[in-house]
Parts: sequence; C-alpha cells; structure tokens
Amino acid sequence: MIKNLFFVLLIFAGFQLLSSCGGCSDRSGQQDDDQLMLPDSLISSDAPLKLSEEIMNEVIGNVSSPVEMANMFKRSGVEFSQRIMNDPDNANSYQTSFKRALNLGVYSADLGYINTFDKNNIVVGYLMAIQTLAEGIRVGQFFDFNALRRMASGSTNLDSLMQMSISSFNEMDNYLRDQNRSNVSSLIVTGTWIEGLYIAANVYEQTGDENIAHSIAEQKNVINILEIILDNYSSEPNFAELVEDIRELKEVYSNVSITTQLGEPETIEQDGRLIFVQDEISIVDYTPEDMDNIVATIKRIRNKIVE
Amino acid sequence: MKRVLFSLLFISSLAYISASAQCGEEVKRQALDEMGNSQYIRDYSINIEKDDGGGKTGQVKFNVLLNSRNHYRFNVVDGPSNRDKIVMQLYDEDNMLVSNYDGGTHYDSFEFVCRSTKVYSLVFSFRGGGEGCAEAVISLVKQYSEGEMGF
Repeated sequence: MIKNLFFVLLIFAGFQLLSSCGGCSDRSGQQDDDQLMLPDSLISSDAPLKLSEEIMNEVIGNVSSPVEMANMFKRSGVEFSQRIMNDPDNANSYQTSFKRALNLGVYSADLGYINTFDKNNIVVGYLMAIQTLAEGIRVGQFFDFNALRRMASGSTNLDSLMQMSISSFNEMDNYLRDQNRSNVSSLIVTGTWIEGLYIAANVYEQTGDENIAHSIAEQKNVINILEIILDNYSSEPNFAELVEDIRELKEVYSNVSITTQLGEPETIEQDGRLIFVQDEISIVDYTPEDMDNIVATIKRIRNKIVE
Repeated sequence: MKRVLFSLLFISSLAYISASAQCGEEVKRQALDEMGNSQYIRDYSINIEKDDGGGKTGQVKFNVLLNSRNHYRFNVVDGPSNRDKIVMQLYDEDNMLVSNYDGGTHYDSFEFVCRSTKVYSLVFSFRGGGEGCAEAVISLVKQYSEGEMGF
C-alpha cells in the first residue's frame, strides 16, 4: 500500500515539476544554441562583467518604447515617409548576431512609426524583416508571425497588431535578461532608441517642430544609461565601437542643459480615475546649432547601424 | 518512509502553489481591455510570493523611463485568487508620487502627467503582506504641446 502510494506521489511530483516548467524545456535548449552565436568573449566566464545582471536588468528596463516618439510625429502634421525607415530587404544582409540584434531594434521602431500612420500596406514587409532577424538570433519563438501577418493583411486595427508585437518584444526582452543575455537585449534597446531618434531627427528637419526638438534634447538623460549598458560589454570590439559612437553623441549633447523647477503638485479624481500632475518640471535649453549637431551625429550613427 | 512521503507531498504542493500563482493570459487580456483608448506601451506580470521563511511578502519593483509632456495611465488587474487587492505605487526615488490606494479607496488605475523625463519606479505590494498575482499595463493617454498644462 505504502509502496503504491509512494509511486503515485513520485509520478505526481514529477508531473508537477514538469508542468510548472511548461515551455522551459524548449527555451533552455534554445539557450545553448543562442550562446554559440554570441562572441566568445561575452559568454566566457573569464570575462567578468562590470555590472551584475541584476543591475543591468534594471538599467535596460529604463529605456523607453517606440510608441511615444512615433505618436509625436503624427501630431507634428508631417507626411509619412517610407524613405526614412530602414529598407526591410536589408534584413537578409545582416550576417552577425550583433548586427541582427541592433537592427531588430531598428525595425521595431519602424513598426511603431508605421503603426502611427496606419500604413497596413507595408507592415507585412517589416514583420518579415523582424522574423528574419529574430530567428537569426534564435528568439523567433516569441512572435506569432502567422497571427501578426493575418492581422496585418486583414481589417484589424493596427493598434492591436502593435500591441501584440510590442508585447512579444517585451516577452523576448524578459527572456533574454532571465537567461543572462542582456548583451543581446542591450543591442535591441539601442537599435530601437537610435532609430526613434533618427526618425525624429528627420521629422524635425522637415517641420522644425519645437515639441520634437524638445523631445530629442531631453533624450540626453538616456545617453548615460545606454553608455553604462553598452560599456559593460566593451571587451568585445563591436560593442567598444558602438560605445565610442554613443560617447560622440554624448559629447554633442553636452551643450543641452536640463534643469528642474518645482511647481504645484495636483491630484484630481475624474470619472473614478486618479490623475496626478507632477510638481517637478524639466526646463530644457539648447540652441539651434546644438540641435543641428545632434541631428547630424544621430544620422551618422544610425546609417552605420543599418549599412 | 513516512518522511520521504511527507517530503514528496510537500514538494508537490509547493510546485502546485507556484504554478497556480501565475495570473495567465485571461487576466492580462482584461488589463489590456481596461487600458481603454490609450496607446499600449508595456505590460508587467507581477507575482508576489512568500519566501521560504514565510511571514509577510515584500514588494516587486520595476524601473521605467517616463517622458515629460506625456500623460500616462497605469492600470492593474488582480489575479482571481488574490485575497487582497494589489497596491500599485509610482515613486521618484524615495518619494511616492501616486498610489492606486488613496484615502482608503482602491482604484483600478491611476494617471500621471509627467513633467520631468527620468527613471521612476513602479512598485507593487499587498497591504496585508499576502500573496498573489496581477497584470499591469502602462499606456499613453495624451501628449501635451508647449503651453499646455504649464509646459
């Protein structure tokens, strides 16, 4: 009797452990393959990181999404321009994990731009580019490309498609960080950020929109974060070169001044919702020459990433 | 033998509790629905469990970069088995700016008009120190231009 009960419990316990790890087994096998694709210097235990993965996770989570910048473009009244974005056909030409990860970020920002202007007709090409690169760095399992393509081809609102794809990007990002692959995650984040700035720079040149210039200038606060993230991996030459580019951008941003002023905080209850208006206000100062230098440097770095 | 049996029973119970603490897609879908017309930015899955020593649970923190002139909505949906409603708070360093538990009332969401681009912390906890899960979504309600809202 006891033996039978023991046997049943053993099976039950085994089943519980397996089921609580549902979806883990594929991913852990995947990780081994992925790691083979990364530079040896970054996966070797002989290359200690300057920051722990825990701190890196916090830092990477800080960089903003493409939605906010893209939303501003539409408000500026600018016409949509496909020419600004990275050509989806370029995806096949990126042969290293480094380039693929960076450009995966670039295409995600482009997707945000496309979504803002409801350009259903070109979204499939960009989803295919994302699929090529995601599979190239073995994270394609986080995207249901068939569902995304169906949504893009049908009458579905692009917001739903965007929501699904950003959610997939977030899951992929969480997975990469859980697997101590923040180096890949950091490249995707950098690619997204640079492409967002690049599109903003182009829109600013076309429109001279003050809100966009202000937003570009405020990104000064993000550069230090990116520098810390990327410098962590600068023992690898590609990362070291990217850090140099980010430092060049930091230099042209050095004339931008961001100060804070205290105002009155305000809490409003409206239709059962609580709305808090912050009391601290950022004051951002820069000259048109500063902005020209920033725009020129962003363009140079972005074009190097997508070439 | 009894000890082995007891240990196995205990391990299997722990595994079951751990698996059942996941909120799942249904709760996430509800959180996305409750986002309303604002634009999705990011979602967070929150699981708060007691550590091996028992006692009260702590808090879960996420860092998030918020941009000035942006009006954000933070909404949260509790897991079906939560005994208490989850508390969601936004901090600027050690300074709590806004909470969904305010003046004795629990709100499903709060909104934040950001006037300073920086890294903030989104913190989740249970007032009674209980366990549970939740799904939260950050979305963009509106962007203000210069001159609006004192910008």
